[in-house]
Amino acid sequence: MDEHEIRRRVTEKYGEIASGKTCGCSCAPGCCGQETTAASVSLGVGYSEEDLSAVPNGANLGLGCGNPVAIASLKEGETVLDLGSGAGFDCFLAARRVGKAGRVIGVEMTPEMLEKARKNAERGSYANIEFRLGEIEHLPVADSSVDVIISNCVINLSPDKPAVFSEAYRVLRPGGRIMVSDIVITRDLPDPVKRLADAYTGCISGASIKDAYLDCIVSAGFLDIAILDEKTFPIDFITSDPEISGLSPDLLEGLKESVKSIRVRAIKPR
Amino acid sequence: MKRSLLPILCCPTCKGDLVLSVVEEDESEILEGSLYCSACGVSYPITEGIPDLLPRKKNI
Repeated sequence: MDEHEIRRRVTEKYGEIASGKTCGCSCAPGCCGQETTAASVSLGVGYSEEDLSAVPNGANLGLGCGNPVAIASLKEGETVLDLGSGAGFDCFLAARRVGKAGRVIGVEMTPEMLEKARKNAERGSYANIEFRLGEIEHLPVADSSVDVIISNCVINLSPDKPAVFSEAYRVLRPGGRIMVSDIVITRDLPDPVKRLADAYTGCISGASIKDAYLDCIVSAGFLDIAILDEKTFPIDFITSDPEISGLSPDLLEGLKESVKSIRVRAIKPR
Repeated sequence: MKRSLLPILCCPTCKGDLVLSVVEEDESEILEGSLYCSACGVSYPITEGIPDLLPRKKNI
């Protein structure tokens, strides 16, 4: 798939999720065919019951690998940018942390998701959140204007990850931080997995090798890069695909072990 | 979008400043209008309060 095709597929898939045509089994571990809800997925990745009840209904689609550590690090008055803000779940939580003196900007490229986020914001009457349609590789945000960048399981979907991190670096103030959760892989994926479009939109086949991912962050200019958390990411929705389940047991086992969800923090030097 | 946000917005392509035109505004935000980048010659619409700042080719 070329860059244009990837963007089209991702926008289409997440548009369908936003409008309820398909379930969000994408980044949400094993939602399809199981007794799993958006709420239980979110509790599983570390959000609290209080977080879930604090946001407007419909804001949590159970997507993402979870970024509660980033949310917890936010301080009153900070300007926060959420890359790939979806229906606004993390934005709403962030808005509560930064308070009236702070603000939260969500950038999202799927119009249906943004529409949902906007309605959710109206319902919750959040005055300090702004959503805009935009691409994370071409941020419509001025240089050195943001304190914190958060992103929850989105950058893996980008066909140009170096551009995402260099844009993040550009818009952060010196001393500002990026705190992202994402999917990475520890070894190359078997070819049948790479060919599966669902594996791309499901955050797996677009994922970078972990070292290459971290190199993108280094190359952008960030310092003090730390992996705060790393877990094996469940990929039942991939391994149950008929194309994939026929792989040798060794390959399947290796595949299951090679997909990781990580939380990374990095600082833009002063 | 709120007027207070204008200073931290920029053109997604050239990162230059945007010029705001308002068609409809209520007490809290701009509902309909546009953001124009003179360097790129591109007008980005604001619809239902949300600016569409997806990068695009020059309008003809």
